[in-house]
Amino acid sequence: MKTLVFAGRNFRELLRDPLSYIFCLGFPVIMLTVMTIINKSIPPEANMTIFSIENLSSGISVFGMTFVMLFTALQISKDRCGAFLTRLYASPMKPYEFIIGYTIPIMIIAVVQCFITYTASYIISLIIGNAISISGIFISSLVLIPSEIMFIGFGLLFGSIFNDKSAPALCSIVISLSCILGGIWLDVESLSGGLKKICQVLPFWQAVRTGRMSLNNTYDGFGESMLIVCIYAVVIYLVSITVFRIKMKNDQK
Amino acid sequence: MNAVEIKKLTKKFGEKTAVNNISLEIKDGELFGLLGINGAGKTTTLRILSCLSKATSGEAYIYGKSVSKDTKEVKQMINISTQETAVAPNLTVRENLIFIGGIYGYGKQESIKKADKMIEDFSLSEVSGKKAKLLSGGWQRRLSIAMALITEPKVLFLDEPTLGLDVLARRELWGIISKLKGKITIILTTHYLEEAEALSDRIAIMTDGNIKSLGTAQELKKSVGCEKFEDAFIKIAERNI
Repeated sequence: MKTLVFAGRNFRELLRDPLSYIFCLGFPVIMLTVMTIINKSIPPEANMTIFSIENLSSGISVFGMTFVMLFTALQISKDRCGAFLTRLYASPMKPYEFIIGYTIPIMIIAVVQCFITYTASYIISLIIGNAISISGIFISSLVLIPSEIMFIGFGLLFGSIFNDKSAPALCSIVISLSCILGGIWLDVESLSGGLKKICQVLPFWQAVRTGRMSLNNTYDGFGESMLIVCIYAVVIYLVSITVFRIKMKNDQK
Repeated sequence: MNAVEIKKLTKKFGEKTAVNNISLEIKDGELFGLLGINGAGKTTTLRILSCLSKATSGEAYIYGKSVSKDTKEVKQMINISTQETAVAPNLTVRENLIFIGGIYGYGKQESIKKADKMIEDFSLSEVSGKKAKLLSGGWQRRLSIAMALITEPKVLFLDEPTLGLDVLARRELWGIISKLKGKITIILTTHYLEEAEALSDRIAIMTDGNIKSLGTAQELKKSVGCEKFEDAFIKIAERNI
């Protein structure tokens, strides 16, 4: 009950912040539209498929999740830096109720964001005459849930460690890394050597890959990518819970 | 039964002793003022009593329940209004009150009922639909105290409740706090000497983590032969440095 009350408060705080709409919902759709227009102007001889809608939509979905991470970090760090959490620490709330209460609303926003991005992708794919499959959208939306948990975990972690000035800066680094090394704007498949290895080891490209594969119904190597994403999601989320609890205890010393 | 009992309470931060072996009893329904200069140990004492901080040694009890061992029971009996305004900025005044009701385990209907009562008691109706972040400092502080009282605490901790408010807003809050006298036990920390004198039944003056003097405002003035409370405070604080 307390968890749901706290989740409700967090949900309202997020929904009443116009930046949530701009970054979490508007920005991915705008990027999708802009990149599709850019893709139209790339000659077919260039053989560049990364911006084609069936590849772009999953990349933008994961890109959108990075903003979900940013908002998670901002909300927690702002609550920590102000006196609001102090009031709640003096209440009968338990640490797990804080963590679940932060996760539920942001998870809802992440799922809605993914749905909107894929819906926009579907509409764009119809307009350009290259329709993506509805069943693929549905499966891909489910497949991206571990990635959403991972990015929420990053947000919880940064929000627990850093203040509301530093947390966004740290998130910007992850946003940039996920764009570059996640294969959203860069064709990782065409790379070789150390950079490709880094992309394979980090979860960002693997997350984009699971989305693309499930969207396009091509599952070669899917299990490995999914496993890597799931391991990162579980580890990062657990670490973030541990850090939040430690910081909560430290705040009460 | 005493509302609060503090027994040989000490809090150290590394080498620094913030609270030094203090003992104190506060009666049920008393408005108790904790006065002191910056770093005297007032807020640290309040944090220990409100389960926000652990004592290094000693113990404190709220209505017989230990703040270190019976945290769950103690947290249900207390509430706090911190020196910084602790409100959810994007929630309305009414939503903030209902939210705190829910956090303390009241059902939705009960929380709404209690919120409406608080809005009436604290004359918040004209701003009840406004987001908390859009309120002035005085209104925010008033809301913050209402949020602390909606849970009907037996003990209310007010940590510098009028800090940074203009004189009118401060006087309005004094009125609100005065009305609570006798109904619940209140522990008030403040820098404003006139505030402590006007509101408190008894006052403890703290310096360097120690309670240097304890009594009514009249008793404290008499103990050092001063007519003005400010002079008495200075004399007591200096005498003990």
